[in-house]
Amino acid sequence: MNVAPLSRRPLGCLKTALRQSRQQNALVCRSMATATATSQSAPGLARLPDHNFYQLKDSKTKKLRSAFAVYQTPMVKTEPDPKKVVKRLPRNAPRVPAEKLPGFLIPPPDPMPMLHATQIARMDPTGARTALLAKTRQGARPGDILMVTHRRGGEPFSGVCMSIRRAGIDSAVLLRTHLNKVGVEMWYKVYNKNVAGIEIVKRARKRARRARLTYLRQPKHDMGSVSEIVAQWKKTRKIMSTRGGGQKGGKGKAKPAKK
Amino acid sequence: MLQLKSLINCIDNSGAAVVECIQIIGQKKLASIGDRIVVVVQKQSPGHAAGMSASSSSGKVKRGDMRHAVVVRTKQRVTRRDGSVVRFDDNACVLINKAGDPVGTRVNGIVGQELRKRKWSKILSMAPMQA
Repeated sequence: MNVAPLSRRPLGCLKTALRQSRQQNALVCRSMATATATSQSAPGLARLPDHNFYQLKDSKTKKLRSAFAVYQTPMVKTEPDPKKVVKRLPRNAPRVPAEKLPGFLIPPPDPMPMLHATQIARMDPTGARTALLAKTRQGARPGDILMVTHRRGGEPFSGVCMSIRRAGIDSAVLLRTHLNKVGVEMWYKVYNKNVAGIEIVKRARKRARRARLTYLRQPKHDMGSVSEIVAQWKKTRKIMSTRGGGQKGGKGKAKPAKK
Repeated sequence: MLQLKSLINCIDNSGAAVVECIQIIGQKKLASIGDRIVVVVQKQSPGHAAGMSASSSSGKVKRGDMRHAVVVRTKQRVTRRDGSVVRFDDNACVLINKAGDPVGTRVNGIVGQELRKRKWSKILSMAPMQA
């Protein structure tokens, strides 16, 4: 039946891998995903099935890459014959921890921090954006007045920081101000490349005792427009004269104002 | 997130102050910024209401008039393609005629940038600011 060559059956290799994992089920707690970029020959590892499905060669780096997470097959000495019925190991067979098996790497329990770190390193090579989010004296805090400059031009948006969402690469700040007597709130992603810069115009006089200042929406606590404060700050910084405001952040730098 | 019976501020100088949504044009349940809706004028702006009794032939809208409108601000958050989100403190619209031209000659207040994508360039050019 299965006379078609392997190249015509793109999922054939997957089948083999699944079969092998089924066979090793009793021995191995679980198999793991590696990074999506795979090196061709890792010492001590079983080679990936030689197949087009996996082998997408990057034209620049000449490295093999794959759009899919590639599951490492466990070390097997001989390829099981697909025609033979694979026998399962008995349930009460002694369990060998995965780290003791040759060729196994224990995956991190939570891969997300690593993913966020790599993405942040790419989006923020200078570390300025990360410094803004840091819970230090230099970082922004709820209650501060921030100014966000866009890369695409347009007027910078400034407002009171209502909350800071620290979520890795998705980190964002919520700003509120009044424009033409209408309250406007904006969420800005800190690591967005379109956000050329985020500057701290004015620090909160007292530390806010809440993480989210949603009470600023109430008329009693509303701070209104921040345009006067920002204009005053701009005058002192003397960036009104040139296009310094937009140009400064043009190289993907967030500039927390020093105090 | 505007639907049937929603009361919306009208921010142009057409003479309407508060309008009520009676229909959303297009296969939609909820209107957002840039959507076209059908409204009924519920309240006239004070200056126009006074002038209306004296001269009704000003060409502006009256209470009970049924008009088309474009939503320009919503209280519901609107997410943009780059992940930023905008939210206004009120719901606002601008009245238009059937052809899509604004009834008023002036827009008093900020409008959402989503209008640009929806090609409401006449309203955008009338607005003092966009966010």
